[in-house]
Amino acid sequence: MAETTPHSFEGPTGLMSMPLSKGFVTIVASTLALILLCVIFAPSAVTAGSLMGSLPFAAVLGIVGLGQMLVVQQGGFDLSVPGSVSLAVVIATHMPNGQDAGLLPALVIAVGFALAAGTLNGIMVAYFRLNAIVATIGMNALLFSAVFAISGGVPRITTNLLAHIAGGQTLGIPHSVLFALAILALVSFGLKKTVAGRRFEAIGANPAAARAAGLSVKPYQAMAYVAAQILYCTAGILIAGITREPTAFQGNSLLLPSVAVVVLAGTSLLGGRGFPISVVIAAFFLNQLSQFALSIGVPYSAQTIVQALALVFGIGVYSIEWTNRFKTEQTSSTEEENHETV
Amino acid sequence: MKLSNLKGCAAYMALGLGVALSASAASAEDAPSWCGPNKASLALLDGFGGNSWRLVTTASGKEEAAKCPSITDYYYADGQGDTQKAISDINSMAARGVDAMVVFGDAGPAILPALTKAYRSGAVVVPYRVNVGGEAGKNYTRFVGADFVYDGESWGKWIKENFPDGANILFLSGPAGNSQGLDELKGMKNILDDSYKFLNPAPFAVTNWDPSLTQQVLSAAIAQHDNIDVIVSDFGPSLVGALPVFANFDRSIPAIATSDGNSLGCFWEKVHADNPGFKLFTVATGNDNVRLAVQWAIAEATGGTPPSEEVFKAPNFEDSTDGDPNPVQCRSDLPGAIYLSAQLSGDEQAKAVGQ
Repeated sequence: MAETTPHSFEGPTGLMSMPLSKGFVTIVASTLALILLCVIFAPSAVTAGSLMGSLPFAAVLGIVGLGQMLVVQQGGFDLSVPGSVSLAVVIATHMPNGQDAGLLPALVIAVGFALAAGTLNGIMVAYFRLNAIVATIGMNALLFSAVFAISGGVPRITTNLLAHIAGGQTLGIPHSVLFALAILALVSFGLKKTVAGRRFEAIGANPAAARAAGLSVKPYQAMAYVAAQILYCTAGILIAGITREPTAFQGNSLLLPSVAVVVLAGTSLLGGRGFPISVVIAAFFLNQLSQFALSIGVPYSAQTIVQALALVFGIGVYSIEWTNRFKTEQTSSTEEENHETV
Repeated sequence: MKLSNLKGCAAYMALGLGVALSASAASAEDAPSWCGPNKASLALLDGFGGNSWRLVTTASGKEEAAKCPSITDYYYADGQGDTQKAISDINSMAARGVDAMVVFGDAGPAILPALTKAYRSGAVVVPYRVNVGGEAGKNYTRFVGADFVYDGESWGKWIKENFPDGANILFLSGPAGNSQGLDELKGMKNILDDSYKFLNPAPFAVTNWDPSLTQQVLSAAIAQHDNIDVIVSDFGPSLVGALPVFANFDRSIPAIATSDGNSLGCFWEKVHADNPGFKLFTVATGNDNVRLAVQWAIAEATGGTPPSEEVFKAPNFEDSTDGDPNPVQCRSDLPGAIYLSAQLSGDEQAKAVGQ
């Protein structure tokens, strides 16, 4: 039953019946194009050493993006990303106070906070029908007050154990990348291969139809926020390990990119199908894009513009019905131009 | 006989006078010259108090104020990064009738109207470190700035000394266009000629003073340039997470000219043996700027003698090449997020940052 849902609600464009989703094809093509651009114009951005330095951040963004994706799949938005990531960073560094022995209890507490925040978000949005943006922005403020209460705004230096677990390398691959891949596998399997996951996507695509089909909608919608918080928390703990001396506000810079990767991966902002692999590739894409901009040595203003253009490109590709436009207006050049902006 | 009696008497009196003078000198030493006899209350207003640097600075300001017995009340308010709150803090301190205010004006000119109002209502108002616009004597009593050009010159001199034939420099500063970074660059250019090349896009590589962005910017720069001789950064501790990136490229960490931090010093101690090119030079990170501002505010409010300096010039702190004025400092028993260059003792700082 759930298998048919995406077809039923995506309209008659026929694109979704293709074996690969439009989002996946686009983001892979864009990423390959970007790598090619890097090889030609900024070869230093794709050297092993450079990737070792930047991939951990792509991994963190990928994990946060997966969390945001789950929420967006239910037609919501999670603006509590900065608060929950920062809180995880602060707990993971503050409570152990440099002692490896204190790390495990701290991580347990961090996950506990994430569960509580996610449950509250879920109840507010799914059961009390609060607007997701309003509910999560309130939660964000609440989480930041916890950040201040615990740390006074001052995180401590990461324990050696956490720095090794999150910031280390095995066979030349940063651990954070391995974490991201494992989480990607878990989320993909959960969404695509389990009954609960299929129901989750069906509910996101059309809650009314799902309810009519006899699914209990609210627990699934609430679960999206809980799972998302767990992922943000994981990302925060990884940041604490990767950055030896993090600030207490490390999550602030992740909110916009987290939405950007979800959009670039082709997830409809109205809810529905999720594309976990595309989200992680989009995270790599966005990260590589800033490395590219850094490596060709453009000024900071231009770096920001390049990233903004990539977002416009992403939204342009997915939000506008290009196929219908071609039929009525015959302006096939529009899409070409959009492709060139990246 | 008479005469000698008189002489003896005079000698006796002179002795007594001398004793009296030295006694009064001792009490003057207790209360520094900037601390006058008039009683006054003092408020320290922070625009944003939530990081270790600010906590150490706040504790330093409090310690400085405590040296003056004429200060009857001491208040502190934290704007928490919220311009509205910073303004209302200033207004409420003025309404409370505080005699002197020392203000870290993070919000810049946005708080000038509130400062002006407080100044006109008769309070001594001393903004420090961040330029808030306006004029001394009209909008506030005096602005006690920090001389970032001087920092740049200190780094420039050290670079010139260690790389007399020119060098490739990577300069990292905070948010795009911040005046601190621009002033530091000006200072370096005052000392260094064209044989010193800046590898970063002009005027500096933007890091927002954020350790994770610093790490990304630095790894891109290391991949791009295989000949970085010196890294200059105006926030040394933010480099600690990023410097291990050099190991990914099998390269030694280069020379670094920056501001001090306990975590940076300890990092140097740990890795310098494996990184022969890692020379470290730091200037004081400037927590003591607040002391100068407090001295000015108290001098004006209590009728003391104002300090001779109007601008805070960060002294050199560590130099791994010649140990002048200090070799690299590390207190591994204390938190990384403290600044050993500050006058406030390491243990007091650890207490201030709550650890």
